[in-house]
Amino acid sequence: MASIADQGAPIPQAELIYQAQLRKVRIFRMHVGITWVALLLIIIFFFSGQNFLGIKTISLDTDFISRNLSFIAGGLGETIRISILSILLAILLALLAALGRLSTFPPFYALSTFYVSLIRGTPLYLQIFFFFLALPQIIPAWAAVPGLWAGVLALGLNYGAYMSETFRAGIASVSKGQREAAIALGMTNGQTMRRIVIPQALRFAIPPMGNDFISMTKDSALVSATGFVHELMWRATKVGRAQFNNLEALIVAAVFYWGLTLILTYFQNRLETRMSKGDR
Amino acid sequence: MAPIVKVSNLDKYFGRLHVLKNISLEVQPREVVCIIGRSGSGKSTFLRCINFLEEPSSGTIEVDGLIVEGGEKGKEHRQLIHDLRLKTGMVFQDFNLFPHMSVLENVIEGPVIVKKMDRTKAIELAEKNLNNVDMLWKKDEYPNRLSGGQKQRVAIARALTMEPRVMLFDEPTSALDPELIGEVLNVMKKVAQEGMTMLIVTHEMGFAKEVADRVVVMADGEIIEQAPPEELFENPKDPRTRALIDRYRSGSN
Repeated sequence: MASIADQGAPIPQAELIYQAQLRKVRIFRMHVGITWVALLLIIIFFFSGQNFLGIKTISLDTDFISRNLSFIAGGLGETIRISILSILLAILLALLAALGRLSTFPPFYALSTFYVSLIRGTPLYLQIFFFFLALPQIIPAWAAVPGLWAGVLALGLNYGAYMSETFRAGIASVSKGQREAAIALGMTNGQTMRRIVIPQALRFAIPPMGNDFISMTKDSALVSATGFVHELMWRATKVGRAQFNNLEALIVAAVFYWGLTLILTYFQNRLETRMSKGDR
Repeated sequence: MAPIVKVSNLDKYFGRLHVLKNISLEVQPREVVCIIGRSGSGKSTFLRCINFLEEPSSGTIEVDGLIVEGGEKGKEHRQLIHDLRLKTGMVFQDFNLFPHMSVLENVIEGPVIVKKMDRTKAIELAEKNLNNVDMLWKKDEYPNRLSGGQKQRVAIARALTMEPRVMLFDEPTSALDPELIGEVLNVMKKVAQEGMTMLIVTHEMGFAKEVADRVVVMADGEIIEQAPPEELFENPKDPRTRALIDRYRSGSN
């Protein structure tokens, strides 16, 4: 059988419409890209030190930047380490707090709501200092690395409190019918939670958790205030102060944070696309 | 013959609302009982009381020799309910397949997790039951890729793989598009022919007529009439039963 194209017939209309849609998307993306580059160039211009049409711009010590770039970059690993440890702690706490919040046993419910209220009711900055000052008094061995553990504990507790709400919503999003089906099969409450409810709740909670993780990598900068964790912000502040080039140092740190965030956002988008393609 | 299901003096309150009033019912082994009634008559609540998805306020449920009293508390009571649920399989209106598991995983979940059955043995049993409902070819598919009728057939296989003594069906075709109802009813007919004891809450009068050994009519939380289908549909005694049958006749023809 001869195909339509063999007979010299025009391309089917559906194909034309599809091509036109693709072209539209491509053009849109191109325009967005161009605008991003333009905005980036404007920012760079403002730090160029040039005077253009009477606009004053900020002049940076590029020599300082090239001399100290590798020192500041050396904090990236520590920033990532704190973030990963903290998010793991946060996920654990958030899950426990969410289960407590849904519990009908008063002490569990109270523990969960008390924790969330206390942590959400006080500043993260203050919490970091609190643990920095309090931890060595309780566990003397930790005095050697007080900054790191104070930071991880404070960030983990803080994000755990906020993420518990995401988890709670995730658990609530699993329909009652799912639980009934599990119970009718003879599952215990624990089995129903572990096998049926939590896997589905996690799927619901993963995209917001990605946002929290991105947000946390930047909040890890607050840990520098203790002076004992040599992450990005600490290093930038240190060299900046020592050589009176605070602005340059902070701009370098900002570029690293932004880059880190862009990478994480890329992975988060991929994860979300993959999950939306999956079952359900 | 001793009944396999025996419900005695079952009462159920939702707060002050008295939804089931002193219901007693016996079901013989291999018997197929259809429960019909208007919505709000308590028929679904009654079915859900049999496996304690709803806790009866008072009364006794006996399945296959296991007696559970309603309205009690404590560890022993919970254990009895657990044992009772192993004797009953349930099929829901909304299928309630687990969306994060494939068809096969859905079906082996109960045997493996609850009965601690060996996985290969569970798969063997699951594949036999999936084949029985003609869904084996979709065993690696996820539920969101199935039609409503296919989902319900898998749900039936999932319940059967627990090897229950009694199957409870709670309006199994009410959420289906009309053209998909037949395939589910056919599977249910097959399960009945294989000798399963079945309690079915349904609106499908044609099915009840063809497959049921007995039809139970409920209204206002009570059983108002019960009889073999030919008798009940030809010669309903209670005017409420007559009204119910007339309504379906005019609706379906």
